[in-house]
Amino acid sequence: MKAYYNIHTIWLAMMLLTLTTYAMAKLGYSGAVVMLFLLLSAATKAAMIIRDYMELRGVSLLWRGIMYGWLLVVTLAIAIAYLISL
Amino acid sequence: MNAAIINENTESSPDEPRLLPGDFAIWFFIFAELLVFGIAFLSYAVVRVQNVEMFNQYQLTLNRELGAANTLLLITASYFVVRAIHAIRLDDVKSCIKWLYASLGCGAGFLLLKSLEYYDKFSEGITLSTNTFYMFYLSLTMFHFLHVILGMIILFAVAIKAQRGGYSARDHIGIETGASYWHMVDLVWIILFPLVYIIR
Repeated sequence: MKAYYNIHTIWLAMMLLTLTTYAMAKLGYSGAVVMLFLLLSAATKAAMIIRDYMELRGVSLLWRGIMYGWLLVVTLAIAIAYLISL
Repeated sequence: MNAAIINENTESSPDEPRLLPGDFAIWFFIFAELLVFGIAFLSYAVVRVQNVEMFNQYQLTLNRELGAANTLLLITASYFVVRAIHAIRLDDVKSCIKWLYASLGCGAGFLLLKSLEYYDKFSEGITLSTNTFYMFYLSLTMFHFLHVILGMIILFAVAIKAQRGGYSARDHIGIETGASYWHMVDLVWIILFPLVYIIR
């Protein structure tokens, strides 16, 4: 892994994204744009876990497809349901 | 050959896909769990469409501090598990055991904070049948709570075997298996936390 993208910086990035999520909630942010940011933030963390913590980087396309497919379907469906509810 | 090189999968040719880490069977268990959680998340999102005000109102009663703290704990626990894997690949059994127990410490912290959260809710008389939001909140988080416990049991068993010299750079599939399951538990919470506690 590269000097700036490794298991340590991934951990740090996920911690910062989580604190950002929490801060936005405390500041009372809501609405479609905020929801999209929060979901993108969660999906980014999840993708890093799948790729570099679960070590699916370089694994057969089938397994990666299942994991990333799950992530894509779940986050898209949540976003669509939210937008419908507006 | 330097042990660090071994973990670059030099046995399989570069263009051949790498194998799934850990025991193959755990991955079917992981896929099944992700399917169940995925359906539960979608159900929450769809039911919320018909009850937006109610969901938004009761979401504010959740303890976001504990939710955020628990997210930080699970992410850190996953990081420690990755450190354990990297340690064993270098035949550093002692460090591997240390990281596994550090991860278990974070898991225990998660269970403690979660129990405090539930104690708070239950003492207010909130149950699964209070309303639809609480039904989703309690069932989703309790289901995940059980998975954290199972994940910790697996990691504990792996740590014990490591202490007895059961793993090395050449043979550590059991640790990878436990790690894969644990990361799935973290992965699920990473979606669950913003969905239930934050997005409104």
